[in-house]
Amino acid sequence: MKITIKCFSQVKYALGIDEFVLELEAGTMTSELEQNIRSKADGKLDGISLRIAVNQKYIPNDIELNDGDEVAFIPPVQGG
Amino acid sequence: MILTPKELLERQSEFTVIDIRPESQRKEFPMDGINIINSEDGFIHTIEGKKVLVCQFGIVTEGMIIEQNLKDTFSLLGGAQAWIDFQSEKEDLSRWSRQTVLPEVGLEGQKKLLNASVAIVGLGGLGCPVSQSLVAAGIGKLILIDGDSVELSNLHRQPLHGTDDIGKTKVKSAEESLRTINSVTKIQCVDEYLDESNGLDFIQECDVVIDATDNIQTRQLIDRFSKESNVPMIYGGLYRWEGQVAVLNVDGSPGYKELFLEPPSGGESCADAGVLGMLPGIIGNIQAIETVKLIVSIKTNLVGKLLMYDGMNHRTEIIEIG
Repeated sequence: MKITIKCFSQVKYALGIDEFVLELEAGTMTSELEQNIRSKADGKLDGISLRIAVNQKYIPNDIELNDGDEVAFIPPVQGG
Repeated sequence: MILTPKELLERQSEFTVIDIRPESQRKEFPMDGINIINSEDGFIHTIEGKKVLVCQFGIVTEGMIIEQNLKDTFSLLGGAQAWIDFQSEKEDLSRWSRQTVLPEVGLEGQKKLLNASVAIVGLGGLGCPVSQSLVAAGIGKLILIDGDSVELSNLHRQPLHGTDDIGKTKVKSAEESLRTINSVTKIQCVDEYLDESNGLDFIQECDVVIDATDNIQTRQLIDRFSKESNVPMIYGGLYRWEGQVAVLNVDGSPGYKELFLEPPSGGESCADAGVLGMLPGIIGNIQAIETVKLIVSIKTNLVGKLLMYDGMNHRTEIIEIG
């Protein structure tokens, strides 16, 4: 299945891209996708907490992804 | 040229006042307390001397004067609506005529703004545009809270502070600039950082608290006091070219604790990550818009949502928090 990944703030800079599509196996969970993203970041996201939104909604817990889902990874930002 | 209702009252002997509104509007919204004549087509040009033209909101007459190049002719700012309100309450709201003409705001909305109190925590990148826009919008009282002083590295993104303000407290420097915009707004300066001992006292006396801080710990404190006092919190955050805004704790809606599950970690400050100078102006003004919506009771808003904006590609994303 195809999943669109949207990257914000530190995630965008860690991966060097703001949006891309991943081909994943059916049944992939959001927690597995997060590990996939963190490993792609090569340590640059270590210590950074991330909220995950699927199709523009925060997910309350780990859920199974569906073909065509949009997943956003949102870190906290401090600046003001 | 324009004239405010107050100026017209004081100088009415200098002018012939001409009401260009249709009869139905004149009957529904009569202008009392002034000698006024009703216009007919071409009639305006036959009157010599200084004239004041009146329409319902002051917009049609301003256009007429420019288009027809009318000499010695003024438009009543805010029109009959502003005059009627001035007569009934002796309060000249014509200054805000461009926003009271908006049906979502109106005179009632403007009065709510004039009676509202807003606490702004942080007078840096976000606090400058937020306070600037809210003072211009006619907010009744601002409480400015910040223990920091102005530094050279602040100036590229904090336009209330200038080169001569380096070394001054940020609240004092901001207050001086804000008073030049609108001296009616009451401004209380608190030259301290918000903390456990003072936060609740300041926040609970306000209608809205603006989070314009630069660290997660203070955001968590504001969130807690916002929940305890049932005062909505308008969160803003910056990172390089990107910004975030959310309206939190509105009658039990999600707060900062729900936005970034505690303990959030890893956010970098502007000093660490850098920030484009124009970005706070955009994000701070979105915070100001949401503040006005809350006070005026406009239901299309960011309650329970997180807005993210990227100035690099102008991507905007709105996420439902829950």
